[in-house]
Amino acid sequence: MAILEIKHVSKFFGGLAANSDVSFEMSEGMIMGLIGPNGAGKTTLFNCITGYYPPSKGEVIFDGKKMNGLQPDTVCKLGMARTWQKVRPLAKMTLLDNVMVGALCRTNSLRIAREMAIEQIKVVRMEHKINFLAGGLPIGERKKLEVARVLATQPKLLLLDEVMGGLNPAESDELIQLILDIKSQGKITQMVIEHDMKAIMRISDRVVVLNSGEKLAEGSPQEIVNNPEVITAYLGSEH
Amino acid sequence: MKPFNPLFSQRGASAVQVTVGIVVIAALFAFPQFVKSPYVLHMMILFFLSTLMGQSWNIIGGYTGQYSVGHAAYFGTGAYTTLILLSTKEIAPWYGMWLGIAASIILALIIGSICFRLRGPYFVLASIAVAEIVRLTALNLTSITKGAEGILVIDIPAFKIGETVITDFSSKVPYYYIALVLALVIIGVTWLVQHSKLGYYFQAIREDQDAAHSLGINLTIWKNSALVISAAFTSLAGSFYAIFVKFIDPSTVLPLDLSVQIVLISIIGGIGTIFGPVVGSLVLVPLSEALRSNVIAEGLINSGLVSETSGIGIFLKEHLAHAHVLIYGILVVVVILFMPEGVLGYFRKMTAKRKGGKA
Repeated sequence: MAILEIKHVSKFFGGLAANSDVSFEMSEGMIMGLIGPNGAGKTTLFNCITGYYPPSKGEVIFDGKKMNGLQPDTVCKLGMARTWQKVRPLAKMTLLDNVMVGALCRTNSLRIAREMAIEQIKVVRMEHKINFLAGGLPIGERKKLEVARVLATQPKLLLLDEVMGGLNPAESDELIQLILDIKSQGKITQMVIEHDMKAIMRISDRVVVLNSGEKLAEGSPQEIVNNPEVITAYLGSEH
Repeated sequence: MKPFNPLFSQRGASAVQVTVGIVVIAALFAFPQFVKSPYVLHMMILFFLSTLMGQSWNIIGGYTGQYSVGHAAYFGTGAYTTLILLSTKEIAPWYGMWLGIAASIILALIIGSICFRLRGPYFVLASIAVAEIVRLTALNLTSITKGAEGILVIDIPAFKIGETVITDFSSKVPYYYIALVLALVIIGVTWLVQHSKLGYYFQAIREDQDAAHSLGINLTIWKNSALVISAAFTSLAGSFYAIFVKFIDPSTVLPLDLSVQIVLISIIGGIGTIFGPVVGSLVLVPLSEALRSNVIAEGLINSGLVSETSGIGIFLKEHLAHAHVLIYGILVVVVILFMPEGVLGYFRKMTAKRKGGKA
């Protein structure tokens, strides 16, 4: 059964179509790569899915429920969690407190939330920084903080918006491994926006390509790299 | 970098801190047995009242990051409800104050539903505007509030449990104990907030509303919860003030000045900390008293630094008492420039540095 169905979603800002008539499905446990040149509408699509914008047209169906018009906090409670392209640590709170805020979405007890948070901090291997202020962490660790924090909300579907952006190769590798580990546990479906083609081809089961707000192609990573339209969109027609 | 967090410490209190706390509280309870001067008791009462007001604001402003500059509205609502009920219906203040709290909570929910659609400076401006509407309403609704004339009560009914008279309010002492208990209660409430889900959610909202929203935090519900707690205790402060001073009018319990002063208590002490408003009150209450009674001008003249007949001497004597707003302004600039985390945050940083850690 499809865990997420995007049906003919369009989003207009005035006359500009940031997304137009995008449709695809995700089955449980998979990793979907979402790629496209700058301004293709990837983050807008994320915002439409997670409740930050209501889609102008079309439907988002998650786990059999229609998500249009739901607020981000409800979306999170229903089991869909997202990270941010521009990281948003809660700067004056510690790493542990940040992740606990995520966990408190599922419990009212601080003690249980603390246990849940520590578990996720172990998953991203940051136990040694547990009492550090989030605002003082370097970018790679902030990205991992965001991952731990959304994992603590116990999502069924995780949407990662450029978690590898701005990272060095070693840090990227670590995050790729983390994403694959999450997949191998089999409980969480993931959608990943990424610019690093090598990374996206390595982790994705399927890839959707957006260009100028429209879905240009969908297929296995192998199909996508050989698709002439995708090559044109990225490199221009003179190629 | 050493993990050090002046604003959000999760470490439990040490045995030394607990002991010091108990000794201080015991000393404060014993205080009126040894000090009989009404003036000193009066100053202590103002200090407790200031702590109560500052700490109430701290919950919405310091922890939740919503800088309401309209808290006079709740203070005034508490004061007016209590005194109107006392003077017209002869309802004793310890019942009236609960109705004041109820009225303030309703007002907070109305204000919250309007103002929390706005963020940052727009929220601040809206909170000022709404408080001014409340003040002008009180000024013009003369049939209920007596307008600018104000409400004066001569006698506060004796506080009885059954037939036993606990106190008849003939001295400052009962007020002292009430104010002390209120100050301790609000400190306790803040501690509870900080050590519960509320504290985490409030601070998450302060740090980043969008991130908080995406982590399952319903912004409307939690911001309004913070405002309701804050408004209820500010209202209580207003009720206490009304029976303590026995006279209120819109320019004493509802002005913008008061809203600003409430904010300053926390900002100067250190926002988002349990003891920030206490420290802020320790600075502001003596300062405002010194300005009011002109001791600063007299001190400067008596010490010979400034000649009494010189231009400066005459200016200080005549105008310093009215210049408290100017002095507050200077104080805020100094605090923001040199102690952006307030007096308390500044000293914690200094102690941490001395211990060799980096803040």
